[in-house]
Amino acid sequence: MALKKSNTTAPEETQSSQRDCSEISKDLISEDPSKRRWAARDIVSCAHASVMLLDQLEAEKDMSVKQVILSSLTQIGDTEAVNGLVRCLRTEDVSLRNEAIEAMKHLPREVASIMASLLNDPDPDVRIFAVNILESLCHPDVEQWLIDVIRDDEHVNVCATAVDLLGEVGSEKSEPALLALKERFTDEPYIQFAADLAIKRIIGS
Amino acid sequence: MKVLIVDDASTVRMYHRNVLEAAGYVVDEAVNGLEALEKALENTFDLYIVDINMPKMDGYEFLMQLRSEDIDQAPAIMVSTEAAELDHTKAFTAGANLYMVKPIKPLQMMTYVRLLVGEESV
Repeated sequence: MALKKSNTTAPEETQSSQRDCSEISKDLISEDPSKRRWAARDIVSCAHASVMLLDQLEAEKDMSVKQVILSSLTQIGDTEAVNGLVRCLRTEDVSLRNEAIEAMKHLPREVASIMASLLNDPDPDVRIFAVNILESLCHPDVEQWLIDVIRDDEHVNVCATAVDLLGEVGSEKSEPALLALKERFTDEPYIQFAADLAIKRIIGS
Repeated sequence: MKVLIVDDASTVRMYHRNVLEAAGYVVDEAVNGLEALEKALENTFDLYIVDINMPKMDGYEFLMQLRSEDIDQAPAIMVSTEAAELDHTKAFTAGANLYMVKPIKPLQMMTYVRLLVGEESV
């Protein structure tokens, strides 16, 4: 007897595609994490979706729902969504922060427009996270942003993070800035090590 | 003496490896907490040097699971760029024995490593 592949479309999935925005927004604040998860996925085409998702993100305790919210915000990618992701960089919740960094890596155009302000944020941790975002941000200005960081930023750990990345994405254009960085932080063995390694990688490539 | 370095930044892992190997330690590496847990289950380490911010599983989560699942109680140094008091408290609550703020100088690192593995006393 030939086996026939069963039609296993989840009833919930079919149902969710037919729901209207007012129902979805109610489900987004439901007590049931499963309903919230589906609503976070389905709400992307509704008006003011980013605002609703960001409100729920602040209250959300379930990590799997948080992940769907971040994924939907990435999909929407409007100004509100990007600003919300930036707010996540300031949270003490390490996993949420890391998820936001990963989400922002997928928004090169939107993130590029605010990158200069992120890299000049008064909080060095935010500047470090901004450099982390550059790691996978496919954008032509990544190397120049990193050069600007190691040339101008006074915080050793922001520069250290940027040097690590320059070793991977930098070209010969970065070499003078790397040499200047070594001069700025002569008493920091890590900077000496990382800058030498980056130069070696750049010359080697 | 065997040390596991847990950090997503390859340059940091290489830097710590150089310092530790120059002092005669055997070094293994993991790129996040998840890989570190797998290595801790299969190997015996005398010390862990753990970064906080890593994808997939951060340093806090790794240490909490390492301790609460009783996988290993070997000493752990948590390293981070964040110097806030709250971060120290979270690290110790998760199971760290020491909290160090990056960048770490080789002499400073080896002093604390030797103290934690019992090769030197205070």
